[in-house]
Amino acid sequence: MTITFTPSHPIWCAGCGHFGVKNAIVNALAAIDQPAHDTMVLAGIGCSGTIQNNIDSYGYHALHGRVLPTALGVKLANPDLMVIAAGGDGDGYAIGAGHLVHAFKRNPSVVYVLMNNGIYGLTKGQRSPTAEQIDPTTERSIDGISLGLSIPGSSFLARAYSGAADQLNAVMVAALQHAAAGRGFAFVEVMSPCVTYNDTYADWSGRVTDVTAMEGYDPTSRIAAFSTVHTLAEQGRIPTGLIYQSDAPSYESAWKKEGFNVPARIDVSRSIHQNSYSSIMEKYAF
Amino acid sequence: MTISAKLDDLTIMVAGQGGDGSLTVMNVLSELFGRRGYHLYKSRNVASRIKGGIAAAQMRASVISRGCTGDQIDLVVAFDQEAVTNVGADLSPDAVVVFDSSDKPLDRRNLADSVRVIEIPFGRYAVRDLRRDLFKNSMSFGVISQLMNIDQDEAEDCLRHTLHRLPERVLLPNIDSFADGRKFALADKIASGGYPWHLERVTRAKHLMINGNDAIAFGFMAAGGRFFCGYPITPATEILEWLQKHLPAMGGVAMQAEDELAAINIALGAAMTGVRTMTATSSPGFSLMAEGISHSGSAEIPLVITNSQRAGPSTGMPTKPEQSDIAMMIHCGNGEFPRVVLAPGDPGDCFKIGAAATNLAQRIQGPVIIAVDQAVAQDARSVTPFDLEAVEPHDGARMSEDALQAMATYRRYELNPSGVSPWAVPGTKGGMSLVTGNERNEWGLVTTVPAKRREMMEKRAAKIDHVRADLPKGIRGGDRAARVGIIGCGMQSGVIAEASERLNARGTPVQYLQVRTLWPVLDETAEFIRSCDHVYVVEHNGEGQLAHLLDGHGAFGNLRSLTKNDGVPFRCADLVRHIATFEANTMHGDAA
Ligand SMILES: Cc1ncc(C[n+]2csc(CCOP(=O)(O)OP(=O)(O)O)c2C)c(N)n1
Ligand code: SF4
Ligand SMILES: [Mg+2]
Repeated sequence: MTITFTPSHPIWCAGCGHFGVKNAIVNALAAIDQPAHDTMVLAGIGCSGTIQNNIDSYGYHALHGRVLPTALGVKLANPDLMVIAAGGDGDGYAIGAGHLVHAFKRNPSVVYVLMNNGIYGLTKGQRSPTAEQIDPTTERSIDGISLGLSIPGSSFLARAYSGAADQLNAVMVAALQHAAAGRGFAFVEVMSPCVTYNDTYADWSGRVTDVTAMEGYDPTSRIAAFSTVHTLAEQGRIPTGLIYQSDAPSYESAWKKEGFNVPARIDVSRSIHQNSYSSIMEKYAF
Repeated sequence: MTISAKLDDLTIMVAGQGGDGSLTVMNVLSELFGRRGYHLYKSRNVASRIKGGIAAAQMRASVISRGCTGDQIDLVVAFDQEAVTNVGADLSPDAVVVFDSSDKPLDRRNLADSVRVIEIPFGRYAVRDLRRDLFKNSMSFGVISQLMNIDQDEAEDCLRHTLHRLPERVLLPNIDSFADGRKFALADKIASGGYPWHLERVTRAKHLMINGNDAIAFGFMAAGGRFFCGYPITPATEILEWLQKHLPAMGGVAMQAEDELAAINIALGAAMTGVRTMTATSSPGFSLMAEGISHSGSAEIPLVITNSQRAGPSTGMPTKPEQSDIAMMIHCGNGEFPRVVLAPGDPGDCFKIGAAATNLAQRIQGPVIIAVDQAVAQDARSVTPFDLEAVEPHDGARMSEDALQAMATYRRYELNPSGVSPWAVPGTKGGMSLVTGNERNEWGLVTTVPAKRREMMEKRAAKIDHVRADLPKGIRGGDRAARVGIIGCGMQSGVIAEASERLNARGTPVQYLQVRTLWPVLDETAEFIRSCDHVYVVEHNGEGQLAHLLDGHGAFGNLRSLTKNDGVPFRCADLVRHIATFEANTMHGDAA
């Protein structure tokens, strides 16, 4: 066996919620028998953005906020890869928020794990777009799940809590399966406390509410999901679990029509294509 | 042009309100001149909106191939007064103006007395006789064809060919209005002076009529480019449109992103899988991409970025050419990383450089920028057919599964003398690795250890030397013994070549160099400058960005900057006059 990069140990503070996220991804990859060499983990910038160093796969460290476009590029160029994008709430809801909207809209079969800790960990504790609990008198928070629900193309919306490993593991497996089946964009927001700058374990433990455990909850109904999410929020609860799943067509399926050829693997030797090139050139004859 | 029995070089303008379809007459004229064996240089001069505002198309038809528009306009077809008023000063003394007087007669106050005017209410006749304003195009072509002594059959055939997609019921009234146009011309009082224009009939080998944007896209595809991502912006959009039209049929992807930040990052993601990838934009979009370009350099991801420059700053003048991003393209993106910046001078060159850039990006595993300006990007010109056989996709240094298996260890950022570390694309067994823009060790793990940092910076910098010999050389011309040089790139290429021809003909010996690799500055560029007493650096910006660049790389204070930044290309005659005057003064100064 060739020796190549071996996953390093996380550099997070002891007790950081991101540990649970990393474990869940590693477990889920094993659970679905995903080969390491066919997997790519792309991370944003932040404490959360070091997770790719700790997982046995191809890894990429994106620019701050750009993990989703990069992941989309990878997926479209090679749809056979399992593509997992990961990043923080600053990365995904602040600098990269515009791309999140378009990821929901396009629905590429990419898993996106957003680690929400309400603050910027790496830059030492500034407010993030989900900082409401720090100072509820000013700006209200962004709710990624409601945002996803409001966009017709969205196909998988889930939330988990780093302090509840079983649910987190189950949600992560479902997300990877959704993407592996080519069903579209699997969005998992993980409530992942930052013990150093915003220790929310005690608060969140008391507020998380698993919608899957609610009687008669139907994750295929967008209206029911919207209503449940907002009803719980008004009660001060944090809805978790697989909140919504649909069969919206995936982005790469639109490209997989006739002619599509896995761009990463096309043999581009001149001899194969020269006739096509010549006939295009002929159209410009003058 | 002076009116003579034969016309071997003339410039025509068609102008009217944008959106009235007035420019279609230009297509018929292209067909006509094309059949007669002329070379064409066509530019559009549209405001950045679809309807309203003056829209004009300009075409130079010449027996010798030329890379810029003519000094003066010899024939104007104008569908409204504003067009004639605007163009008045640019007319040659014996120009002919064909004017649509449907609204009111031409106010010829700003026209020289020698300019001849044919006034016909095209629009009114077209509506009266044929009930459609748009037929005025065919009618005006009828007038012009008569003016040029083209016989009815030949002219009609050109019109039919150009309109061959129209259904018969629309085609026929167009033919009728064309015939009416010819009658009007005959009846016009200019007839008393006869029609002294006679087009040449020459044979030339088959050419292509294509603009720079299309040719860049084509070159990219021919070199194996199969993934493109962009965001619409004038004057770069044709690249997106061309590839959306052609790449899917080749199994590839050409997609529109939500913005330029997404465009370059989607491109980076795709490029990492091994597919040859390009993004394209224009100046403001290019500034948005700067962070991604730096990332391509740091993380070592092969990427082609085309910048079809518009006039800046900021949103500036979207439809006007400028070369004011030269400094940005060479220096943008934080930090220091190896990059190549190439500047093609015409559509034929755009094809070559589109292909070369695609291969170079693979070979340096980093950013290669194609720098064009609106004129090179959007002006269409007749060029010799592309040499498809000369383009073979180059993979750079890749790691296959077999090669990996034979190795004891594989490091993505392995140090070696070429600076290029062979890479395994995701999906390759045994090649798992980390790609990052942070400083890292050979494994891709982040580091700030000073010794490692130095090694990695040196490794990346070495990549340019590894390809230096294959970077596109400049094109030299003129009198090789001349002590006076002219340097330009992009839209200046055609102008400096023609200016050099005229200066040499009138006894001012000059030689010129059209630079095609802007960065790194090639030794040949420095040598050219050193071989001259002084060199005029002609560029379209206010600060002399190319001159500044050369000043720092081999020039020794012997550069003279000739700049312009009003959105209108240098006219060859003006350039000749500037240089001849400067030279006369220099000689005077030497004597004193
Ligand atoms: C363009 C850019 N702007 C700012 C930064 C600085 N920066 C690094 S990480 C970060 C915020 C990280 O917060 P989050 O995404 O929530 O991740 P966390 O550390 O909380 O996991 C910022 C602002 C950067 N790297 N790049
Ligand atoms: S600072 Fe916060 S987010 Fe960062 S590693 Fe420590 S606990 Fe985790
Ligand atoms: Mg955070």
